[in-house]
Amino acid sequence: MQVIDRYAYSNRIRQVDPAYKAALSVAVLLLCLVLNEPLVGLAAAAGMWLLAVGVAGLPGRTFGQMLFAEAFFLTLVTAGVAVSIGFGAPGDAGRYALRLGPVWLSSGPESLSLAARLVTRALGGAAAMNFLAMTTPLVDLIDLFRRLGLPAALIDVMALTYRFIFILMDSLDRMYVAQNSRLGYRSWRRALASAGQLAARLFIDAYQRSERLQTALDSRAYQGELRVLPAAYQRDDALLWCGFLVIVGLLVVWSAL
Amino acid sequence: MKPIIEFVDVYYRYPGQPRFALQGFSVQVPAGEKIAVIGRNGSGKSTFFLHCNGLYRPQAGAVFYDGKPLDYSRAGLQTLRRHVGICFQNPDDQLFSASVAQDISFGPLNLGLKDSEARRRVEQAAEFCDVTGLLDRPTHALSGGEKARVALAGVLAMDPDVIIVDELMSTLDPWVRLHIIAIFERLHRHGKTLMLATHDLTVVESWATYVIVMAAGRTLFAGSPATLLSDAALLHETGLEHVWSRAGEWTAVSL
Repeated sequence: MQVIDRYAYSNRIRQVDPAYKAALSVAVLLLCLVLNEPLVGLAAAAGMWLLAVGVAGLPGRTFGQMLFAEAFFLTLVTAGVAVSIGFGAPGDAGRYALRLGPVWLSSGPESLSLAARLVTRALGGAAAMNFLAMTTPLVDLIDLFRRLGLPAALIDVMALTYRFIFILMDSLDRMYVAQNSRLGYRSWRRALASAGQLAARLFIDAYQRSERLQTALDSRAYQGELRVLPAAYQRDDALLWCGFLVIVGLLVVWSAL
Repeated sequence: MKPIIEFVDVYYRYPGQPRFALQGFSVQVPAGEKIAVIGRNGSGKSTFFLHCNGLYRPQAGAVFYDGKPLDYSRAGLQTLRRHVGICFQNPDDQLFSASVAQDISFGPLNLGLKDSEARRRVEQAAEFCDVTGLLDRPTHALSGGEKARVALAGVLAMDPDVIIVDELMSTLDPWVRLHIIAIFERLHRHGKTLMLATHDLTVVESWATYVIVMAAGRTLFAGSPATLLSDAALLHETGLEHVWSRAGEWTAVSL
């Protein structure tokens, strides 16, 4: 998560209006869902990789690794679609079957192609979301939601949650080190007890922090809404054209099928 | 001496606590001075500060700003908080936004300023606190000293007349402290009243023009640092004598 955050702040298109980046990512995601072709999904993943590396200047390896990790998980989840489990041999011909005692694992061309379709479709969409997450700091996304007219209460909760994640991670880290230095994680039993105490303490810490935050906000004349200035953005024609090319590319792949 | 803030016989007890944090606390805060507030942990410094812009309300006694008793209505507090700004002990308690620029813009927008004016205030405060280069950085990526300066900028952007800083300095290294003291000096030249809680006695000696010593929720001393330092009986009474004059004699300080 901190890796994503770091890239989100340091990539080449950080200053670009999040509306462009979000529109591009959502368009690619929708195309993957609507066109529903394995090749389109793969092309989308490739296209987003190219955009991330070529336009945003993200390291291709990192972006690729994230995609691989996601592909791995997607494959695991869709295994249930590709392989069916049953007692008794599958009747129809043309199916691959494997017997494990009383249980039969079986698969066939249709279920395999369905699984492939699911994996690639989701992978294309995930690549689009990765691109958005790694090029756009959450602050900018929240800013975008505000511009899109999401309710202020929701926006405030998002903004505070994001800020508090880092504060609480920091607290957690310090408490863990302090416990560890007093041998709190010496054995499995101690570790379990220490982790429990840490969790309890962290709740109290979060609560006390929220009270102090309230006081500090009140001191700056808080009136129930966290109003802040919108950020100033740039436009980036290279991103617009390359994004446009990726979308056209997906449609071309689809029409060629 | 014209007091900008005045406390008259103020009592305050935190819910569930047996002891009063302020008990019969009276003090006059002189306008335009550089004030050091000293006192041991739990002597009531933070509680004093939190009363200054109406965050806490005295359970007995009264607080005055510019000669008038504090108005605790919504509008009254809004006005008061424009005049009295507090920078809190831990910047992480104060910085609510993940964006430095947006955090600083919070106060000015709460004052009902237009976006363009708020933006100008943000830039001005950032320049004043030397954080212009940080405006685009995420809050969680800042160092302690940077966070302290950003928190201060968030208070200054509201352009208060009285700036209260609660032990912001205690965890900062001497260079950052010097940096912040330099910012205070500039604020002082702009006619602001500065009030700083500190345990750093060199700050009292070399920076402050007025010093308030608190103990057990009361004022032990309020006056010029020179008076405090030259009066042996007074030093004895405040208990500071031990800390100041018997360096090396570790048994002198009672805990």
